Amino acid sequence: MATLQRPSTTSQQPQEPSREAQQAGIAVWKWLCGLLMAYVCYGAFYVARGATGFTGGAGDTARIVFFHVPSAILSSVAYFVAAFYAVRFLTRQPDTETDVKSAIAIELGFLFCILATMTGSIFSHAQWGSYWNWDPRQTSILVMLLIYAAYLSLRGAVAENVQKRGRLCAVYVLVTLVPAFFLIWIVPRIPALASLHPPDTLFKRENTGPDYKAVLYPSFLAFTLLFIWMFQLRLRQVKLTMRREQARGYNG
Amino acid sequence: MTPQPPPHPAGWLAQAFALLGKDVRAEARTRVAVSAVGVFTFSALLLIGLATLTLKEVRTVNLLRLVDPITVASVEAQMRPAWDPPAKFGLLWVLLCFAAFTGLAHSFVHEEEAGTTMALRLAMLPQAVYLGKLLFNLVLITVVALLVTPVYMMMTGMPAGNPLLFLCVMMSGCGGLASAATIVAALAAKARGTGALYGAMGLPLLVVFLMLLINAANTLYTLHPAPLRVVRDVGGLLSYSVLLIALSSLTFHFVWEE
Amino acid sequence: MDYTTEEVCITLQDVAHRFGHRPVFAPVCTQVQSGQVLAITGPNGSGKSTLLRIIAGLLPATRGTVTITVGGRVQDAFQRRRFIGYVAPDLTLYRELTGAENLLFFARLQGVALSREALAALLATVGLRGRGRDPVRTYSSGMRQRLKYAFALLHRPPVLLLDEPTANLDRDGRAMVEDLIARQRARPDGVVVLATNEPEEVAWGDIVVHLEGAR
Repeated sequence: MATLQRPSTTSQQPQEPSREAQQAGIAVWKWLCGLLMAYVCYGAFYVARGATGFTGGAGDTARIVFFHVPSAILSSVAYFVAAFYAVRFLTRQPDTETDVKSAIAIELGFLFCILATMTGSIFSHAQWGSYWNWDPRQTSILVMLLIYAAYLSLRGAVAENVQKRGRLCAVYVLVTLVPAFFLIWIVPRIPALASLHPPDTLFKRENTGPDYKAVLYPSFLAFTLLFIWMFQLRLRQVKLTMRREQARGYNG
Repeated sequence: MTPQPPPHPAGWLAQAFALLGKDVRAEARTRVAVSAVGVFTFSALLLIGLATLTLKEVRTVNLLRLVDPITVASVEAQMRPAWDPPAKFGLLWVLLCFAAFTGLAHSFVHEEEAGTTMALRLAMLPQAVYLGKLLFNLVLITVVALLVTPVYMMMTGMPAGNPLLFLCVMMSGCGGLASAATIVAALAAKARGTGALYGAMGLPLLVVFLMLLINAANTLYTLHPAPLRVVRDVGGLLSYSVLLIALSSLTFHFVWEE
Repeated sequence: MDYTTEEVCITLQDVAHRFGHRPVFAPVCTQVQSGQVLAITGPNGSGKSTLLRIIAGLLPATRGTVTITVGGRVQDAFQRRRFIGYVAPDLTLYRELTGAENLLFFARLQGVALSREALAALLATVGLRGRGRDPVRTYSSGMRQRLKYAFALLHRPPVLLLDEPTANLDRDGRAMVEDLIARQRARPDGVVVLATNEPEEVAWGDIVVHLEGAR
């Protein structure tokens, strides 16, 4: 709160050079992220030879796994990042920045959730013959999409009071931990909803060769770095927007 | 003024029951929530009945081709929609979920709209407010379920399965519905949200709960289910409500207080 | 026997509030003790009601602290509520219940055993004798204001926070309020905080704080 509520004219001057220095220092991992991502895009088609063990015996369709699985994992990790900041907001630091971080994690989670749903749907068409077949994991990700969308609509509804918005949103994130927990750990284990999703295909030694892993593991890293980078960018953008609005408020 | 003994602030349980009593009395007088839920539910029942008229005919045709030894049951089934019992059970809960979400927001939204929250905040502990509203919603949804379920069973021929298990599943269903609806209603009321926001926020909670309910219904309509499976399914339903109630009561004062 | 005979003290230290980026009033410092009346004045929108909410612990101030001590013990935002009787325009009682039902409900919440006689006496004090069985929605605005006084006095609190104390009240009602304030002041622990713009009511204050809208 303290840094955010300072009028822009005074606080901009000292912060500018420090941020540039920061950027220069950390730029290495951003380059790494870009290179890894480029490698994954190339490697998915020219390094990996495809995987065996998926139903239908597909080799080439499994290339989408390099993009599908990391986004799916990120979409739920983002949720827990949001929950972490929500708890922090409610217990330790009730400042706008913590609340904004929680909201950004949700926004990114929403994005990766959409990506995972779309790539999953394509994969499903290739493997099982239809874009949608109510597999438990497909249902789960649909509900996650609903949760994300509901959070964002709640956030839109209480835009006028920042503190209140933070509290309500944080509580909603924590309450929806219950369905999220059930979706991740309980629902896929319900026998009546037998999943077509392979639980362990990727981890069996005979299914994927070293060439496949040489792309899969960098892909996880690349996506994680991408997530952090996007998170930082969005945070900076939101902070700047808030500072501009504040400056406007002061000038009338 | 007459001298009085020093007041002890009533314990939170006593406060919660006082709030429940007040809500029941106000509801008995205005009947806003009950009539909203009632009208909604019975119109929905009517719509379901109308929408599934054709299902009967399909079943009749099927019956002619089947050589079914259980003729009595089949002929009876002929008069009714031809879905299997878990599907009927699922549809009943779809109906109750939506019914719950038309009426259960009222208790919080009304306090917020009437401006009585300030008096409550002055006089009550936040946890007592949560518990009181949860109990009221539980009473309301249980009453609705008690009224609707027999009618629905007559209409669709949904069997009860094992009566004791049926009761358990229905009760834990009501519990889950009330616990989900209460905290979402508190959030929506503070957000000055419309019904649309309330529905949007509540549905993700309910979809997952409905998956558990349908799973429990599968067990309910299995002949001689394994005891472990029964315990697991009913336990799943109950743990969902318990977790929700625990998280809600922990976070409720962040919603309720400024 | 009285509810408490312990000295009550309210201290406002550098209290200010802002809604979003907009400050409501300039920081306030003051102190009021048992036997005193604090009057808060200021133009519309200067934050009188907001300050009363902050004192009642209903709204956390964005700056500064309000300390309420009873017999030297500091009461936090929750504890202090039971020492406070609050009357304000934005306080509403249940329209669908009767006056008596409202009071009995809040008495149960406060843990006060309200006998039939005590209820009748309380209603008589605020000038609502014989109207307890009517639903609040049939009350006039003046009668609702009187019922709020009954609500505030239920648990005989040492601190009375009165926002626009005589809003909607007739001449009798004003006399009743003046009488109440005098009695509260006479209590060994009584403190009254008024927020008002009526010169006549400002004159009741031993301490007067004038709020200026902050720029």
